Amino acid sequence: MGAFIDARTVPSGTTVHADVAIVGGGPAGITLALALANSKLKVVLLESGGMTFDAKTQSLYQGSKIGAPYVTLEASRLRYLGGSSNHWGGWCRPLDAVDFEERDWMPYSGWPITKADLDRHFVKAHEMCEAGTLYYDAAAKITGGIGKPLALGPGGITTRWFQFSKMRSSVLPTHFGERYAGDLKKVSRLSVYLWANVTRLGLNPSGTYVRQLDVATLDGRKFNVKAKACVLAAGAIEVARLLLASNDIVKAGTGNAHDMVGRFFADHPVPRDNAVLVLFGGEPAPFYLGNQTTHGAILRAGLFPSEKFRRDHEVMASSITVEGKVELDALGKAAVATTANALGVDAANASYHSLGCGMEVTPDPDRRLTLTDERDALGMRKLKLHMRIASQDFDKYRLTLKELGRQLIESRIGMVKLNLRTRDEWYASLDWGNHHMGTTRMSADPKNGVVDANLRVHNVVNLYVAGSSVFPTYGAANPTVNLLALVLRLAEHLKEELP
Amino acid sequence: MKTVSRRQTIWLGGAAAVLVAGGVGGRMLLRKRYAPTPYDDLIALVHDRDAAAQIGETVLAEVEDFEPIARAVSLRSRIAGRPLAVALTEDAAKGRLVEGGGWVLPETLGLICALAAKAAG
Ligand SMILES: Cc1cc2nc3c(=O)[nH]c(=O)nc-3n(C[C@H](O)[C@H](O)[C@H](O)COP(=O)(O)OP(=O)(O)OC[C@H]3O[C@@H](n4cnc5c(N)ncnc54)[C@H](O)[C@@H]3O)c2cc1C
Repeated sequence: MGAFIDARTVPSGTTVHADVAIVGGGPAGITLALALANSKLKVVLLESGGMTFDAKTQSLYQGSKIGAPYVTLEASRLRYLGGSSNHWGGWCRPLDAVDFEERDWMPYSGWPITKADLDRHFVKAHEMCEAGTLYYDAAAKITGGIGKPLALGPGGITTRWFQFSKMRSSVLPTHFGERYAGDLKKVSRLSVYLWANVTRLGLNPSGTYVRQLDVATLDGRKFNVKAKACVLAAGAIEVARLLLASNDIVKAGTGNAHDMVGRFFADHPVPRDNAVLVLFGGEPAPFYLGNQTTHGAILRAGLFPSEKFRRDHEVMASSITVEGKVELDALGKAAVATTANALGVDAANASYHSLGCGMEVTPDPDRRLTLTDERDALGMRKLKLHMRIASQDFDKYRLTLKELGRQLIESRIGMVKLNLRTRDEWYASLDWGNHHMGTTRMSADPKNGVVDANLRVHNVVNLYVAGSSVFPTYGAANPTVNLLALVLRLAEHLKEELP
Repeated sequence: MKTVSRRQTIWLGGAAAVLVAGGVGGRMLLRKRYAPTPYDDLIALVHDRDAAAQIGETVLAEVEDFEPIARAVSLRSRIAGRPLAVALTEDAAKGRLVEGGGWVLPETLGLICALAAKAAG
């Protein structure tokens, strides 16, 4: 039987030995621990929190922010077993092949792996999210009984699908901690330490090997963990903090010889009510408006720019969602009546819906996390986020919406109104996906990133990162199922690498 | 029984004529008059000229150097006597769009609306 150990009971000065030490018990850490269960590896999982929310532990996530409006660093994450899956939305969708490609019009694009390298891991990743069979773009075949996708004419926008983590009454959707605690306990060579905060990566003098992880509890205990491989799975903000703060050997921070750690922070802006969708013939199919359960999957349709449109028009990914009904003003009524009449279409039953979306942002080295001189209750330096969004990101998304409008008119089924234009208007409507990404980006060349294609920190032989911090570009897909696919690939790698 | 004199009959008849004019013909008389323009043929393609003018005001805010006569000439040759709906779907197919107050419109329709706005003064 595996053990759940309260780190506050571990005597100070203890050294715990393991083959693999995982820092963080969110979806990434839990999935990695379970994926290593069928190996001979002795695994230790170090989780900062307990089984439920604790305010003192949560306050370790405090930091500051400047720049574009953004969620506070403390509010957008949860620091206990299960991590931010304790308040995630359960939306799932794999990235597209184009998201991995180097695109000359998209600065800093190009992953050192392709989508094909990940494909075989999505079934298991999906299973971990309890999101049922993978249908995604084949979903139209199984949703015929519910409704028809919009008959959009040829063009850049197509109906594509999200799937959702299983909804149930007590765990809604999959909260990885609560859901998998029982499974973790069944793994014989795994020890899960709760209330165990990793505060420092202790490197050898040449900075090429992690000799030990320093662990501290909020009640003052200090011990360390020595492992053949250490995997940072503490979320994209905290992984950067751990690397930057572990700077006693390499002054710029561990893995930061090229000043890349903490740079390229990203999230998906979610501008609310950014457009109005008019459908002359009436309501869209129910799967556009909310989740529908069929064939053992929970599905929702969105409107996405195709990979071809993205390449041809040099636009980033986005996922347009159809939201609640809206009323039109006098100009809107005039525009709909005039356009429908001119197109020879009856708009007596027209429907009007607000559009939402998740947008990809351009990778930006100056959208970054840095350490401040303020310290948390464990003495660790806090982070400051400098948030920025390029105006062209909004412009490109607007171009995508315009393409939707074009197709609706060409197919004589509807039209679109764009609600936002100026930067202030976009900012005023801005919400966020809370999808932290990019701070330890993957790269073939150590000069351009922090981890290699196997998620190993460049030049630190036994240090890995698991999570969306390794995404060099972000797509518009929700990150969790994708980061889990990467984690499952890492598990395979670790099993091969470690004797 | 009170009889109606010839004089009264004439008066009532005249009143009836006034009523008819006020009820039916009056609608014509009260109808908003627009000064004729050299592009009335294009404006006539949209069903509600006032609505078109309202949209057109917002289109004019987006379009630079809007010269009505020249626009009308090019719109006529673009429409080429075809039904307006055909010209509009062709606009969309060719990516010819214009915005008015955020509404994404086929360019031909947006520009006709702009002409209606110009005509409304
Ligand atoms: C409101 C909200 C809604 C979301 N909705 C969606 C969605 O619909 N779909 C989707 O795909 N994603 C969604 N996400 C994102 C999703 O929650 C994350 O992608 C996912 O939780 C990341 O998993 P992770 O294990 O990498 O990191 P986390 O979930 O952040 O887990 C990190 C773990 O590490 C622990 N930890 C941190 N620091 C230390 C330390 N120093 N020592 C030890 N342990 C430490 C934390 O306590 C935590 O348990 C949402 C996020 C939020 C906040």
